[in-house]
Amino acid sequence: MSELKGKVAIVGIGEVPTGRFPETAAIYHAIESAKQAIRDAGIDKDEIDFCMPTASLFSPQFNTELVTCRVVEELGLKKCKKNCQVFSGGSSSSCGLQMAGSLITSGVARTVLFVHSDRLGTGVTAQGGIDLFSTAGISAEWEVPFGQHYSSIAALSTTRYKYETGCTDEQLASVCVSNRKWAEKNPNAFFRKPLTIEEVMASKMLSTPLRAKMSNMLFDGGSAFVLTSAERARDLPNKPVYILGESGVVSHFVFSQELDVSRFGWAKAAKEAFEEADLTPQDMDVAEIYDSYPVYQMIGFEELGFCERGEAGEIFMRGETWPGRRIPCTTDGGMLSKGHIGAGGAVSLMVEAARQLMGKAGERQVKDARFAVETATGGTYMDAQVTILGTEIP
Amino acid sequence: MDTPKKPVPIVNPWARPFWDAAREERLVTQRCKDCDKFIFYPRIACPHCFSDNLEWVEVSGKGTIYSFTVVENNAPSAFIKEMPYVVAIIKLEEGVQMLSNVVECDLDELHCDMPVEITFEKLTDEFTLPKFRPV
Ligand SMILES: [Zn+2]
Repeated sequence: MSELKGKVAIVGIGEVPTGRFPETAAIYHAIESAKQAIRDAGIDKDEIDFCMPTASLFSPQFNTELVTCRVVEELGLKKCKKNCQVFSGGSSSSCGLQMAGSLITSGVARTVLFVHSDRLGTGVTAQGGIDLFSTAGISAEWEVPFGQHYSSIAALSTTRYKYETGCTDEQLASVCVSNRKWAEKNPNAFFRKPLTIEEVMASKMLSTPLRAKMSNMLFDGGSAFVLTSAERARDLPNKPVYILGESGVVSHFVFSQELDVSRFGWAKAAKEAFEEADLTPQDMDVAEIYDSYPVYQMIGFEELGFCERGEAGEIFMRGETWPGRRIPCTTDGGMLSKGHIGAGGAVSLMVEAARQLMGKAGERQVKDARFAVETATGGTYMDAQVTILGTEIP
Repeated sequence: MDTPKKPVPIVNPWARPFWDAAREERLVTQRCKDCDKFIFYPRIACPHCFSDNLEWVEVSGKGTIYSFTVVENNAPSAFIKEMPYVVAIIKLEEGVQMLSNVVECDLDELHCDMPVEITFEKLTDEFTLPKFRPV
C-alpha cells in the first residue's frame, strides 16, 4: 500500500500522432506533447518545477539531450528545479507516475511534467529495429547466442498459453481486431482501416504461432502528462484523475528464467492495486491493458480478474471489448494498432486512461467513465505494473 | 546484405566454468551447499538463501520443453540463414530453466513438455553451445 491514493492527480495530457515522420526532429514529439499537456492542464508553464523525461531508444545522442534539460530549455520552463529521467522500459508510464506522485506527496515537487518521445519508426531501419530488439534487454550471455528476439519471446509465451488454456489462433487474432476497432476512432493511431480475423490469419508467419499482424510495429511518436497535488488539481479546469491504487511485481531479467511465461506477476500486482483502490475489476469502466502482442493483452485481462483463466479468447471473439460493448479494452488501439513507440507504448495507455476519465476521448469516449486500470511491463515482460485511476476517491 | 557472424556469449567471469565445461561437452550448473538448490544461470551468491557457498556440479542433461517456437521470418541478422530454427525454454530435471535451440527434430512433432536431452554444437574454438534434441 502506498500513500498516493487520492493525493495526486493527472491534470493535463498531450499527445502527437503515431507514425513515420522522417522530416520531423525527434525533440518535436517531446515538446509538442508537453506543450499540449501544460496547456490542457490550464496552468502557467512556470508551475512545472520538475521535468521528468523518460528515455528514448532510437539514439543515445538524443536521449542524452533529454537527460541534459533540452525539454526545459525548449519550452522555457523557467522555474523548473530538476530535470531527471525516470525509465523502466515499457513500464515507464506506471513507474514514472508513481515516482512523480511520490515527489509531490513528499513535497520535493509541486507539479511534474512527464514526457516521452521516440523515433523508432524512422530513426532506425526495419532490420535495425529487429536487431535492436534482439539485444536490448536480452541476455548477451544466455539468450542472444540462441537467436532470441522479441518475436520469439512473445511466441514462447503464446505457445505455452495455448498449451495450458486451449486458446486458438483465431482468438489471438480477435484481440488484434478489437484493438483495431478502437484505433479506427483514434486520429493519433497509425493503423485505422478495419481489420478482420481472416486478414490476421493470412499474414506472414514470424515465430510460430505468431504472425506478422499479431505483432506490433515501431513508429515515431510522443505523449505527456502533468501531475500535481489533489488540492491544486481541484482548482484546475480538467476533472482531476486521481491515482487510487498501484502495485507491481518484478519477475525476471532473462526471459527463460521466468517460471510462468503465461501468467507473470499480474495477479498479485492487480490484487494489491485493487485492494488499495477499494475497487474490483467489475468497477472499472475502462481497461487499458498493455498489448504489444495479443497474448499479453489476454494474460493481463485474465490475471487482473476481468474473467477466469482461459476465457479471454471467447470474450475477445464475441467483441465484448469493442467500442460500446461491455468491457472497453485498450481504447487507443494499443501498440498493435496505434503503434509501438518504445517506452511510450504504455505512456500512451496512461494518457488514454486519463483522457477517457476526463471525458475527452471524442468518438471513442466511454460514457460516464469514472474508473480505469492501466497496466504496463518493461523489457521482456520483466515486471507487471498495475495502476488504478479515477475521478472519484472510494 | 552481409550476414554478421553469429554472436558469441558475452561471458561473466564467474560463469566461466560453465563455458569451459560446455567446450568439453559437459553440462554443469551451480548448486548451493547450504540450501541444496541447483542454480542456473551462474550467480555470485545463491538467489534462494543468499549463501556464497556454491559448487559446480555436472547435471543430467535431461529435461522437457517448457515452451518453444519455430522462427520462420524476421530473425535477427545473424540468424537469417538458420531459419527455420527452434528457440525453446528447457526445464532440466534438476529444476532449473535455460534457453536453447532444439535440433535434430521434426518441427511438426514438437510440443510442450516433450522430453529432450543435451547435445552440443561447436560455435567457435572458444565456445560450444548446449543444445537439446528429442529423446
Ligand atoms: Zn542457497
